[in-house]
Amino acid sequence: MNAKPLMLALLLGALVLPRAARAQTQRLTGRLPEHTRAEVAALVDSARGAGLPADPLVNKALEGASKGADGARIVAAVRALAGGLARARAILGAGATEPELVAGAAALRAGAPPAFVERLRREYPREPLVVPLAVMADLVARGVPADTAAQSVLALVRVGVREAELVAFRHSVERDIALGAPAGAAAAIRVNAAERDLGATVLLPGSLPPRPRKP
Amino acid sequence: MHGSADDPLIARVADALRQPVPLAPGFDARVMAAVRRSPPSLPLRAWTWLREPRVVAVSPLGVLAMAAGMAGLLVVGAVSREPGAGSREPRAGSQELTTVAAAASVTFVLVAPQARSVALAGDFNDWDAARALMRREASGLWTVDVPLTPGRYRYVFVVDGRRFVADPAAPRAVGDDFGTPTSVVTIGGGGTHAAGGSL
Repeated sequence: MNAKPLMLALLLGALVLPRAARAQTQRLTGRLPEHTRAEVAALVDSARGAGLPADPLVNKALEGASKGADGARIVAAVRALAGGLARARAILGAGATEPELVAGAAALRAGAPPAFVERLRREYPREPLVVPLAVMADLVARGVPADTAAQSVLALVRVGVREAELVAFRHSVERDIALGAPAGAAAAIRVNAAERDLGATVLLPGSLPPRPRKP
Repeated sequence: MHGSADDPLIARVADALRQPVPLAPGFDARVMAAVRRSPPSLPLRAWTWLREPRVVAVSPLGVLAMAAGMAGLLVVGAVSREPGAGSREPRAGSQELTTVAAAASVTFVLVAPQARSVALAGDFNDWDAARALMRREASGLWTVDVPLTPGRYRYVFVVDGRRFVADPAAPRAVGDDFGTPTSVVTIGGGGTHAAGGSL
């Protein structure tokens, strides 16, 4: 190909590719007042430029629009989420998936100790961490102290529980709390029950992780 | 026959062989022309074709088509990564949502006998309640199936088009940014999740 068509193709590509990337922000059109849309779009573009996922930010803005929130509140929520995603990525690493970043941001917002998230990633660098992080956040939302929730999830992951078992653990804790058990005690009791069910010793944080169980 | 370099006969033969052979004029040119006429091997021809610089004329329309093709590939890639893109999986019972593999059909359930309409709004449908109207089953049970890929999703039920109701049977999202409680559902690579409750 000679120079002119090549240059033309590159120029068109430079024009077209950002348009495709901005398709997400176009989901905001018609859903937000123009000045709010522009502010949110700028935040989303900035986050994308920093390598953060755009979809969760757009979703947050659309949630606000759907619930009739005012523009300032929407922008503040989007900005806060962008910060949360950035913190999650700083801990989980650049290779973290979008669902992991979303779950990680939720866990950190819930009060998960950053050291817990970091340790989880360090010990399981190639395992998807969406469910452990989400269960941790869910437990805190149900009133389990953040440290207890983090230690419980880490201990269960270390004995090789499957995702379904981790979710079942969360269900059990929620049920106990609904029946009147103190949230922290409910988590501790259920971790011990998991120890019996799995026939394994739930290790305290700081111990070496055992080999994961096979499905 | 045996002989040595000292043999006069051998010496004469050797002298004769050492004389240059006279070639006809143009012999070299004819040989080289014959070599050029013989076809090269296929790999050699392919390599030569690949290495040889050439000018490709492309019309502006062709360039536009290429750019559109690149954009199309990007859009297809982006759509395929969106939550919800994927195959359906079997639905579970009224209270349990089963999530399997890459994309699962998740059943959301709300018991609301008094409601005239119930819809679902969440991260998976641009928070647009009109895109996930729930069906009324027996006894005031409202259900809808939504395909979800692994991830963590926030959602609410929208009752009678104006009331936002968190899922009584699902975890609440930490922090209600907009003043109304929000539920979350987490889809793992192969876990079982519960959602759904009653008003």
